[in-house]
Amino acid sequence: MRRRYLSLLLVLTCLASVEARAGWQDTLQNLMNPESKESKILSGATQVVSSSQEMSYESERTIGESLALESMQRFGEPVNSEALQRYVNLVGNAVAGNSRRSTIPYQFVVLDSKVQNAFAAPGGVIFISRALLDILENEAELAAVLAHEVGHVAEKHALKSIRRAQFLQGVGTISAATMKGSDGKKFESMIGDMQATLFDKGLDKGMEYEADLAALETTYRTGYDPSAMVSVLQKLKKLQDGQAGNGSWFSTHPPLDERIARLNAGMEKYPDRASLAKLPGRFVKSVRGGKAAK
Amino acid sequence: MRKTAMALLLLALSASAAAGAEKRWVVSEGTALKAEQSVSAASVTELPVGAELTLVEGAGRWLKVQTSDGKEGWVYAGRVSDTAPVAEVGGGEGLFGDSLQKSQITTAKADSARSIRGLSPEVAQYAKQRGTPENLKKELDRILSRKVSDKDIKAFLKEGKIGEYAQ
Repeated sequence: MRRRYLSLLLVLTCLASVEARAGWQDTLQNLMNPESKESKILSGATQVVSSSQEMSYESERTIGESLALESMQRFGEPVNSEALQRYVNLVGNAVAGNSRRSTIPYQFVVLDSKVQNAFAAPGGVIFISRALLDILENEAELAAVLAHEVGHVAEKHALKSIRRAQFLQGVGTISAATMKGSDGKKFESMIGDMQATLFDKGLDKGMEYEADLAALETTYRTGYDPSAMVSVLQKLKKLQDGQAGNGSWFSTHPPLDERIARLNAGMEKYPDRASLAKLPGRFVKSVRGGKAAK
Repeated sequence: MRKTAMALLLLALSASAAAGAEKRWVVSEGTALKAEQSVSAASVTELPVGAELTLVEGAGRWLKVQTSDGKEGWVYAGRVSDTAPVAEVGGGEGLFGDSLQKSQITTAKADSARSIRGLSPEVAQYAKQRGTPENLKKELDRILSRKVSDKDIKAFLKEGKIGEYAQ
């Protein structure tokens, strides 16, 4: 928090020097316009205050839940098994509770989809496909995938990737009224942009590496073997050699070799990892009723 | 000359000693300061997310720490981080302030305990404009109403002998 105030002080000092004549209110108002001089100084001076961080949690959640509706339309409905959904929610919430953003509610959903994929909607609704679940072998691997997605939510990656979207430039808080008329159209187009980023183009490479390293730390802190993240990527690599599934976890992410190399470098922080939990038995029983991986 | 150099060295050493007090931040929900290095030990106090701790001694899975008001005890290493957690932004006007942080988190928690009662007015309006099928709206409602309590998670970790419950 101290860093935040220091950043604010730095920003305001810069602003004061360029806009000495303008009143504080004008300055703050200009700050909301990304094309303004103030805003450009702001983004240059510090990344601590970004448009995504100006947004309230409620607005972030509205974006996330709208995106969740589109995700189900595109990838399929949730798998109809309350026991399976509960198990994945327990693993997901266990790691989310040890993430850098542990105080918001998270929901985890298994979608009945044949594409190996997992993605996170802003605000904490996280999806994993049945097909990705099917290639995993233990609970630590599931925890790693979910912790990677929690990392995206914690760092607000999806929001940051569309921070220049027209909708976000003028709207601070989203209300039901905002959803109507031309603002409603802008909101819809923003959700469309976010879908294109998450499902087709993929997030920034840097964001993926950041989420990978967050997954290592979060799984380790929870008590799962963090090297499970690497074993998941190795499984995906095997699959990748055989097919190029559009919209899958490997088509929208950076090259797997590069991710594996970076993760292996990050693994040095966890010398006692081999002694941590993997739990293949509980995973296989909960996910496949005892059957081995596909 | 030598005296000056020695004075500078002493100054540098004392500065590094002062800065050497390592900090940790509570990152996990439901963290307690324990009297001993065990999850079953008595709790000295509850530690909220974001609380700043000074490391007294520690290597391994349990760290001896001191709170800002001087209480000492043990905390499971997995519940703290050497970087502060992400701060929440509350309400429509929470541009820079953290005064809304607490109420924001309270709202988020309240929401996690909701039962099926339909989508929020904003999301319902979005679904209406997009012509989202009725079954998907119901599925989203079911997703949002699924509850996992802190108690459930602790029991789950204990059953799997994970983290602080490892033998």
